[in-house]
Amino acid sequence: MSTQGRTAESQDAGFARSVAAASGADPLVCLQCRKCTCGCPVAGRVDLRPHELVRLVQLGERDEVLRSRMLWECTSCQTCVTRCPQSVNIPALVDALRQLSRAERKTAATTVVPVFNDVFLGTVCRLGRMYEAGLMASFKVRTGRFFEDLDKLPMMLRKGKLALLPKLVRGGGARKRLFRRAKAAGGKRR
Amino acid sequence: MSHVFYPGCSLESTARDYYLSTHAVARALGLDLPELPDWTCCGSTPAHQESETLALALPAKNLLAARGNTVAVCCAACYGRLKAANHALAHDPRARARVAEVLGADYDGSTPVKHFLEILVREVGLPRLKARATKPLKGLRVAAYYGCLLVRPPEVTQFDDPENPRLLDDLLAAAGAEPVEWPHKTECCGASYSITDAAIVQQLSREILAMARAAGADCIATACGMCQLNLDLRQGDIEKKYGERYQLPVFYFTQLLGLAFGLGPRELGLRSLVVDPARLLAEKGILAGGVPQAVSAGPHGGMSR
Repeated sequence: MSTQGRTAESQDAGFARSVAAASGADPLVCLQCRKCTCGCPVAGRVDLRPHELVRLVQLGERDEVLRSRMLWECTSCQTCVTRCPQSVNIPALVDALRQLSRAERKTAATTVVPVFNDVFLGTVCRLGRMYEAGLMASFKVRTGRFFEDLDKLPMMLRKGKLALLPKLVRGGGARKRLFRRAKAAGGKRR
Repeated sequence: MSHVFYPGCSLESTARDYYLSTHAVARALGLDLPELPDWTCCGSTPAHQESETLALALPAKNLLAARGNTVAVCCAACYGRLKAANHALAHDPRARARVAEVLGADYDGSTPVKHFLEILVREVGLPRLKARATKPLKGLRVAAYYGCLLVRPPEVTQFDDPENPRLLDDLLAAAGAEPVEWPHKTECCGASYSITDAAIVQQLSREILAMARAAGADCIATACGMCQLNLDLRQGDIEKKYGERYQLPVFYFTQLLGLAFGLGPRELGLRSLVVDPARLLAEKGILAGGVPQAVSAGPHGGMSR
């Protein structure tokens, strides 16, 4: 990605360092060899390909990075970091950027992944385990996607693929404490 | 060191057949797989997307409870998260201190975690599996599909060669099947976007189905509840969307191994597969009687306890 035609106004000089601290990955050592993008399963559909994302982080293009759809289309398949000659941990970088994107309310409008994550983790906090039937119901209510995959429901029930009731896991109080403390602790600090 | 089983959430619902077939195979081999009492979810993708501390603390809570045993895992996603927590806590003292604060107990990342595939191939051993395979899967051409999280990142999972793993191929060969050579062993299926962004899953899973067929496979073997769901449950949508026809049964490796052991279709949960394998199994002379239609679905998906 070219460094030409970018203005100082959009650039945040400390961005790369703060993202490095939050993720434990070092975007500054990237060589732009594009090996990450060659192996990326979603490179053909995302607005920023992995090597472009890293370059924009280097350039401090905070807003463009945090508003990117790429953050919510990366499948965390770990192919990029496995092949990177510089060991840039792009999946860790993307996780840190996801959290920053949500904290600054810059999440791409097209994605429902954050809603899913909230419903999923709320379920785990309350029940201790995933409870698909409840998760799907809450997710559908929160997103208005009532009819998606509804056709599969009878078949899934018939094939025993959906439990109707959640399992009860002991230790609810300790679990809630764990979630509360984890939220307060935040991420990596270097 | 004895094993303690961490089923993970999907084995209680969408992957109940993985649960059934794992226990059936373990029983046939005399392997004891007691379940970790009151295990909790590993946090899966949502936890690592939202909070690094939570993504380490949830696996650590389970690994701490399992101390003194080797944790046996079937779901590749759980496996990835448990291994990632072990790696981070063993190598990063600050992460360890943060997790200790959250858990109220220190965990050093030392509880061993093994995928059931590793236990079968590396502990039980291929010769014993081969000897137990009284009904070898002769003429069944299988695409061994590993997906992402068993093999990557390799320094974390230490499972097998990340670009060309052999473990599952070797197991299938021991069961008498013919693993096909193909390039998509470790391509991504779209994973957890199954619910939030099905278009991604359809695009990526289609590539895998198309490559398996091009390689001449009759079916696919998976070692992950999420991969299996995407390739099997979403196969009909993929066929419709792209105007193609695959009809490729997508088994858990434990179901294929169980068939080679001469175990019954009910025990192996074959009825839960969406793409019906009955015709293929009859054609190859593996299962003449077909797949029984009745399935016992109790309130917890009919899981036997």
